[in-house]
Amino acid sequence: MTEMAHHKAGAEHGETIHLPAPTHWPIILAFGCTLLAAGLVTTPGIGIFGGVLIVTGCVGWFRQVLPHEAHEDVPVRADKVVIETSRRSVERLQFGPDQRVHLPVETYPIRSGIKGGIAGGFAMILPAILYGLITQHSIWYPVNLLGGAGVANWSHVTTAEIASFHWSWLMIAIVIHGITCLLVGLLYGAMLPILPRHPVLLGGLLAPLLWTGLLHSSMGVINPALDAHISWGWFVVSQVTFGVAAGLVVARDNRIRTSGRLPFFARIGLEAPGLMESNPHAGPPAAERPGPGHQEKH
Amino acid sequence: MADQTLPIAGTLGVTPQRSRSSRLLAWLHEWVITVDHKKLGILYISYSLIFLLVAGAEAICIRIQLAMPNNHFLSPEVFNRLFTMHGTTMVFLVGMPILFGFANYLVPLMIGARDMAFPRLNAFSFWLTAFGGLLLYYSFLGGFGLYGMGNAPDVAWFAYAPLTEKAFSPGHSTDYWALALIVSGFGTLGTAINIIATTLSMRCRGMTLLRMPLFVWLMLVVSAMTLVTITPLTAAQAMLVIDRYLGGHFFDTQAGGSAVAWAHFFWIFGHPEVYILVLPAFAIENEIVPVFSRKGIFGYPAMVAASVGIGFVSMGVWAHHMFTIGLTSVGNTFFVLSTMLVGIPTGIKIFNWLATMWGGRIRFASPMLFATAFIFQFLIAGLTGIMLSVAPWDWQLHNSYFLIAHFHYVLVGAIVFNVFAAIYYWYPKATGRMLDEKLAKWHFWLFVLGFHITFDTMHFVGFMGMPRQIYTYLPDRGWGPLNLVISIGGFIQAIAVLIFVYNLVHSYFRGKEAGNDPWDAWTLEWSTPSPPPVYNFATDPVVYSRRPLWDLKHPEDPDWKYES
Repeated sequence: MTEMAHHKAGAEHGETIHLPAPTHWPIILAFGCTLLAAGLVTTPGIGIFGGVLIVTGCVGWFRQVLPHEAHEDVPVRADKVVIETSRRSVERLQFGPDQRVHLPVETYPIRSGIKGGIAGGFAMILPAILYGLITQHSIWYPVNLLGGAGVANWSHVTTAEIASFHWSWLMIAIVIHGITCLLVGLLYGAMLPILPRHPVLLGGLLAPLLWTGLLHSSMGVINPALDAHISWGWFVVSQVTFGVAAGLVVARDNRIRTSGRLPFFARIGLEAPGLMESNPHAGPPAAERPGPGHQEKH
Repeated sequence: MADQTLPIAGTLGVTPQRSRSSRLLAWLHEWVITVDHKKLGILYISYSLIFLLVAGAEAICIRIQLAMPNNHFLSPEVFNRLFTMHGTTMVFLVGMPILFGFANYLVPLMIGARDMAFPRLNAFSFWLTAFGGLLLYYSFLGGFGLYGMGNAPDVAWFAYAPLTEKAFSPGHSTDYWALALIVSGFGTLGTAINIIATTLSMRCRGMTLLRMPLFVWLMLVVSAMTLVTITPLTAAQAMLVIDRYLGGHFFDTQAGGSAVAWAHFFWIFGHPEVYILVLPAFAIENEIVPVFSRKGIFGYPAMVAASVGIGFVSMGVWAHHMFTIGLTSVGNTFFVLSTMLVGIPTGIKIFNWLATMWGGRIRFASPMLFATAFIFQFLIAGLTGIMLSVAPWDWQLHNSYFLIAHFHYVLVGAIVFNVFAAIYYWYPKATGRMLDEKLAKWHFWLFVLGFHITFDTMHFVGFMGMPRQIYTYLPDRGWGPLNLVISIGGFIQAIAVLIFVYNLVHSYFRGKEAGNDPWDAWTLEWSTPSPPPVYNFATDPVVYSRRPLWDLKHPEDPDWKYES
């Protein structure tokens, strides 16, 4: 049944409205279905009786709707229903100077974050390799640590094995590193409107610290073996390198205007009237706006 | 200045004089053959309230049994049947039907339609649900079990395999459980299809998706979830029936079947089911909080997104019920994280309700009292849910009363509270009478008191190691005093519910006239007479904003000026 088919009648006063006629076939069919099931736990006779009711119910139902649905005409009696409120005045919430009603007018596009993520991903390779060379005399040590995170049976590996070259671990490390840098960059881009004036601060300090804190607190649960091999000091250095590189790339990009012309409250979804500026293009056509003519619409 | 008048019809009521008994029969016949969504909604709600009393009585029996150590008020067999029937009844015969009852009654009214999309299917769905419940309870008489006498199912509401196999559950009690739920499950599916079709195709002019009341949005999400989740349950029950009648081995572990498969089938239904129950409670909250705070809902788009988000995420968390069965570390990690993820959209909702109340002119009428308690209690339930989502924590406490406390905080503290809120809010619309506010306050405060005495204490007895579904316990465990407190809380809740029932009946005959819009609300159902005529609206409503009645009441400052 479509909206139009249902409502087209739009009965005037003194007329009738077509509604589906009451029918006993649904209850008969439902009872039949129940008895059919009950037959399994009682006696076959009850199941058979249920089957008979099902057939009867289906035939009766079909005859009700085919070839035309049975309807009844319900007379309409027009009563006046008054739509009114005792609360006539509308109070507008007031905001003091200490309350934050700030929205950036300009911000960086999200693609800046992605570009920053890619740049940061390359930049952080340097401190990671330095870490490998200084602590284990091997550039493969940090690579294998990252690759090891994606290998399920990595728990009994020795330090010498981690410091040596493995094709499969390298491939896994590249995949993890690439995807993570892209996603973190994307996240960075999405978060930029929070601190649009200081992308380097956000990317170079806040985000690395938050990310490191999250990993530090959860890595012991997710992968204890990997957790035991990570040097968190060097980890922070590489994250900061990532963030600074990403921040610099973003800072060099052009800003774009946000949809700041929209009222703040509309952007955060607040619906309270009086808080937002008017939208003269919304609402009913002039002829249908509230007034004597509008009353007849409901 | 506000006297906007609407030509909305009353009813025609020229009834010839008849005898009292024939009038009663005619009245009954009218209800039996009805396809009117409002009457079916009332039938759903009445049916559920009756079963709420039944399940409540079962709970009281359970609590008497557990009030003292070494108690033998019930036999072990009866105890097993009662907690099985209590759980099954509350979830399948109270929770779902009552919420679908509200959807039936309100969705067409809220979207400006005259009925559901498929009125006959609507009637069929209700009667299937109703007969399914009656079939389940007939098991007390007809469910011949081990002792050759009538007995009810005794396999708990989740009916784990292989307990449900013939070898361990002889007789028919388990068959009654499976068959009754299959029957009522088809009824639920029919209603879900109907709500989706109605919402998508029968909205009045101007009611775009983003102007729909949040109640309707949430019912749409719930119905979609129902279609996805009832199906595996019905399939599993069909397999169980095949096992028991045709010698199948789906869940027969002695013949190569898998008990874990049943657990997966059940919980892929069972966990989204919790959201199917709680989302309508959110829906009720979304309507009541703004009206009684005298402010528009805060963050409508975010509320819609969070509801849809909960619907999606809830489909991927089922195995957190199975941490104690044993999962791989990858499985544990996935389900821990996915379960925690649900906290984000639900958190958004809690913050938005608080933001709606913030700065508002709050009126603590009975619906708002229950709705406010809901927020607090649902927050606690969510926090204990996050605790249980952590697998090692769950290993310790899953099979204890801590979990029962968490679960009841959701089902009672959130859902039942908002069901009461909804009844106080919409009863005047459905009957034309206000519920007595003084009795309502007694109901609220006693119920809050009883609820917290019972379920707060239950957390502690769980911490002390009391297992769930235990028949009795020894005095030296130290659980006795706390269990007594829990049971006393249960009795206080029972008294509160009896006051509520008395209020329902008393106010129907003696209640104050409600008028059309007793709460000064903003959605379309309040523009109809109370109770609404069979056709709902004499002429098609046209809406221009999310609060059409606000626009009429405040023509100088309508919402459509601010909604883009």
